[in-house]
Formats: sequence, structure tokens, C-alpha cells
Amino acid sequence: MLEATALSKSYNGTIALHPLDLRIEPGEIFCLLGANGAGKTTTINLFLNFIPPTSGTAKIGGLDVVQQPLESKRLLAYIPEQVMLYKNLTGIENLEYFTSLAGGSHTKTELMGFLEGAGLARTDADKRVGAYSKGMRQKVGIAIAIAKKARALLLDEPTSGLDPKASNEFSELLKKLSGAGAAILMATHDLFRAKETGTRVGIMKHGHLVAQYSTSELGHADLERIYLEHMHD
Amino acid sequence: MILRIARKEITEMIRDGRFRAAGAIVFTLLAGALLLGWQHYREVSAQHSAAQRATREQWLGQGKKNPHSAAHYGIYAFKPKVPLTMVDRGTDPYTGVAVWLEAHKQNEFKYRPAQDATAVQRFGELTGATVLQLLVPLLIVLLAFNAFSGERELGTLRQLLSFGVSQQDLARGKALGVAAALGLLLVPAALIGVVALTAGSGQTDMIAALPRMAWMTVGYLLYFGAFVGVSLAVSAWASSSRSALIVLLGFWMFNGLIAPRAASDIAKALRPAPSAFQFARGIEKAMQGDGHDSASARAKRLEQELMKKYNVDKVEALPINFTGARLQDSEDHGNEVFDQAYSRLWTVFDAQDGVHRLLSAAAPSLAVRSASMAFAGADFPQHAHFARAAEEYRRTIQRVMNDDLMRNASNTGVYLAGDELWKKVRPFEYTAPDAGWVLARQAPSLAILALWCAVAALAAMWTARRVRVY
Repeated sequence: MLEATALSKSYNGTIALHPLDLRIEPGEIFCLLGANGAGKTTTINLFLNFIPPTSGTAKIGGLDVVQQPLESKRLLAYIPEQVMLYKNLTGIENLEYFTSLAGGSHTKTELMGFLEGAGLARTDADKRVGAYSKGMRQKVGIAIAIAKKARALLLDEPTSGLDPKASNEFSELLKKLSGAGAAILMATHDLFRAKETGTRVGIMKHGHLVAQYSTSELGHADLERIYLEHMHD
Repeated sequence: MILRIARKEITEMIRDGRFRAAGAIVFTLLAGALLLGWQHYREVSAQHSAAQRATREQWLGQGKKNPHSAAHYGIYAFKPKVPLTMVDRGTDPYTGVAVWLEAHKQNEFKYRPAQDATAVQRFGELTGATVLQLLVPLLIVLLAFNAFSGERELGTLRQLLSFGVSQQDLARGKALGVAAALGLLLVPAALIGVVALTAGSGQTDMIAALPRMAWMTVGYLLYFGAFVGVSLAVSAWASSSRSALIVLLGFWMFNGLIAPRAASDIAKALRPAPSAFQFARGIEKAMQGDGHDSASARAKRLEQELMKKYNVDKVEALPINFTGARLQDSEDHGNEVFDQAYSRLWTVFDAQDGVHRLLSAAAPSLAVRSASMAFAGADFPQHAHFARAAEEYRRTIQRVMNDDLMRNASNTGVYLAGDELWKKVRPFEYTAPDAGWVLARQAPSLAILALWCAVAALAAMWTARRVRVY
């Protein structure tokens, strides 16, 4: 579903991402680990076509993101570290706006259903977003992904700064979405969540994807040890 | 898609207290300016028609006197107030609205409020045109400066684009949103204007003013369109909302405050017009004495010509009254001088107008000012149109008086004319040019506005396509 082929990015000769080959199939949750500046966000931005690749291709559902920027985006949902919403609109209005931009048309009940499915309380849905906590915003982000029936999710440190309970709820939602057949690429610093939620983990360093593991092969302690070993130079 | 974007933009604007406040201020000022304009229009046009009646009655009731005395007694002509001047007073405060029509002279217009005003007052007068030309664009800038840059800073732009929204659709939706927000202010204000217009001038005049009003509206809409386009383009292009706001405020100030002053200074420098004093001196010189001076060469020549024509040897023996003939001859001479002087002056003004038109390619505010005052009926060409009609009327009066003198007065005794003669002079009637006449002159301004609007829209699309996400 998500596919990078020799995908690379450099800025004025500085290489941000060395040629990357990666395939993420429906139902998979691929967690990208690595220090800040290792190339995780660059990878996600390349899939979003927010930045043009220096070489190689990124495809979503077989569609080249540079050649078919609008079509490829119809398949995906993007949840950044901080889901940004319009503060003068309520949660449900934000959801309605974003889903309508994605081409969907939903009744108020359906929209409320998506928000509830993402774990947002009914009473909060009608409040203006200006008063939302981060956890509530991320839930709206998930609700957007649910409403859009996204087949690929790109998540950029979506749980950083969430309290453990909210973080746990978020992971459960991700599992639900991948269970429904979505391919998920998540950049994260949370090794515990990566092991719990992810089906595969990849470790990035200086723009290289240096190692990939299936989470079923690893224990929690193993992952942390391996990660730290990679971080040593 | 575009509609949804626009709807969201409006919802956000309406819920934002700052925009509500700004909108309320602009609306209040616009409605206030229209009502003030309406009041001014009503008062002035009532005064004008009263004065026009009074001057006519004075003319008819002047009793028995020599026709030439009557010619000196004179009559006032008042430029009729066109209803749309309640929106835009144009050059009226500078050119004046009344002229005294008397013997020998094409007078300057009187009642020029600007004559008594200080320079500061130029900025102070609140008219519908000021609000439409200055404040509405400012409101557009405030509504649209962060259309793209704000979403980029907030991070929502990334999210929007991750939904596969095309940037052009986003730009169109935002433009529509701003347009709709403006519509919420301007449509009710326009309705107030139309009601005031109908109440102030009656239904017939209102209907007659409709074509002018329609063209004026077209001009303003194109002007606002240009501002929306430029604002969106700058917002998409600028690195931050702050710099977008600074650039746009600069553009606004250039248009609203700097360009109009600079343009008239440049026009004056390139095509200098004589000062009022020089102009009067020039006419004086060209006249070289007037009709009262029977010793002047012209009078002598006329005397010789007439005596030869009627085959008599002294003036007293002429079958016509010599004074009458001499006065008309001096009028004819004067008219030539005036025609030359005024046509020279108006050619200069036309040339200044041409410079203005060229410069308006650089600042759309110049084009909209010119179109607005033209369709309001208060620009210089329409002033000149009235001035010509008034002068024509003055010449008619002189001819009627002098003809009567020539035919009926003896060359020896005292001659007095009465009511019969005064009635021969028909009341002054003036029909202002129609919208087509104005349109023919204002087509370049409207074309420049349309060009600005189109280029700004293209610029907005172009920069939106290239908008940076970070």
C-alpha cells in the first residue's frame, strides 16, 4: 500500500534521506524509530509530496505521489504530532470540513459516530476546538482517518506528549484501523508503543534505514537494547 | 469543494470578534456616509432648485430697464446635483456648482467648498467613496492577509493538502469566502444607498440613475476583486503572516494615500496648467479693452463698416442702434477669446487626465477614483459639459438683449425694455450626459480595473500552486 523505491532527499548537497526501499502492506503498522533529524519526518513528507524527492519514487496504492498528487492523497490520512484544527469551529465542524474536503458527505449522526469511535465524548464534540487538549485533538485526527476510510495512514509522532492512558487509547484505535486493512507508517520515539502496536519496526540513523525487525521476534528489552546499540556510533 | 471552503472561511470570520468589530465599523461608516451624503444631497438640491427659481423670478421681475443693464444684472446657473453624488462628490468641491452669467464675461464657477478648506480637510471628508476606496480594501487586507500564511503557521495547511485539496481550489474557496463576508456588509449598505437614493431624488431619478449605478458597481467590484487577488497572492507567497501584512498594508497605503497625491502632482508637473491669475491675465490681454470703450479700435472699425453698409455718414443716422451692434460685436470677440482660452485650459486638463490614466496602470485606486466620480456625475469632463451649456445660455441671453437693443432702441433717446423681453429668454435647462457618454470616457479606467482584477487572480492562483507547506 505504501511503497518507497530508492527514495532519497538532499538539501543543497546535505543528504537528509539516503535511498530508501520500503513496502508497507495493508494491515501492517510500521514504526520508524530514530533520533531527531534521522530522516523520519522527511520520509513522511516525501509520501505526502510536501517536499519533492531528489531521486526515487514514493507510491501510495500504486499511485506515484508526485505524478498524481491529488489522487494519491485520497487514499491516505495524515496525523501530525499535533493535529491542527480551526479553533473557532467545534470538533464536529472541523471533522465535517476536513472530511468534506476529502470528498465525503456525512450526516451529523455519522460524524458524531466517527468522533465517538475515536473516543471523543459527545459533549466535547460540540465545543469549539480552542479549548481542546492535545489528546482530544489527536482523537479528531483519528476520526478524520476513520471517516475518510483511509487505506494508508502517515503518523508523525502522534503520541508524543500524550498521557499514558490517552496514548494507550490511541494505540488501540490504530490497531482497529489496521485490523480493518489500513497500512500504517508511524514515526515515533516511544519504543514501548512501537513494540506494543507495531507489526514491524525500522531504525533510522543519519538518513539511513539501518535495521528492520518484526515485533513478534522481539521482547521489549531486546528492542531497547538494539535501539541503543544502533544509536552508538 | 470551493463552496465548502468558502463556507468554513465565513463561519470562522463571523466567529472571530476582531473581524466582527472591523466589519461593524466599516458598515457603520459606510451607512453613515451614505446617509450624510443623502442629507447633503437633499439640502443642496433643495437649495439649488430654490435658488434657480429665485434667480429666474428676479430676472423676470427686474422691471423696466435697458436690455444691456439687464445683461449686466445677469442670472445664476446652478449645476444640478446628480443623485449619485451622495456616494461620490468628486471634483464638485473644487470646481464649484454655480456660475453667474453676465455680460462680457465667462465667469468662473462659485461655491467651491475646497476654497475655504485647509489641506487637512482633503482627507477628512467622509463620503461613501472614501469608505469604498479606502476602508473596504483595508478590510479585505485584514480578512485575507493570513489566508495561506496563517494556515501554514498553524499547521492546518499541511493537513488540508494531505486531503488532496488542490491549492487552487483552496485559493478560490478563500476568495469566495472573503467575497461573501464583504457581501454581508456591502449588500445591506447598497440597499440602504438605493433606498436613500429613491427617497432623496424620487423614483424617476432613481431609475434614471440605475445605469450609472450599475457601472459604478462594476468598477468597485473589479477594484475589490483586485485587492482580494493581491491579498491572497501575497499571503501565499510571503514567508510569514507578519510580512504578508506589512507588504499588503504597504500596497494599501500606496493605493489609498500615496498614489492619488503623487498622480496629481506628476500630472501637474508634466502638463502644467496656468494658475487662476495667469489664466485671467491671459484673457485680459487677449481682450484689449471691452465693449464700453467706444474709442477702441474695434468700435471705430465697426462704426465705419456699418456706416458704409447702410450708406449713411454719421452714427446717429444708422437705422439700427449702434450701441447694440457694438455690444454684440464685443461679445462675439469676447466669445472667441474665451473659447480659445478655455479650450486651451481644458486641453491641458485632458492631458493631465491622460497622465492620470497611464499612472492608474500602476495603482488601481486611481482608476476606481476616476470611474467612481465619473459615474457619480462629478468629474471634470461632466463639469466642463455643464460649463459649456451654461456659457451657451449666457451667449443666448446676450444675443437676445443686444438684438433687441439694436432693433428697437433709437440712436438718440433713452430705451427701456420690459417683461416681454425678459420672457423671451427661456429658463435655463440642462440635461446631464447619460451613462453611455460617461462609459465612452471611462472605458480605459474600467479596462485597467478589469486587467488588475484578472492579473491579481492569476497571481493568486500561481502563488497558491507554489505555496510552501512549511
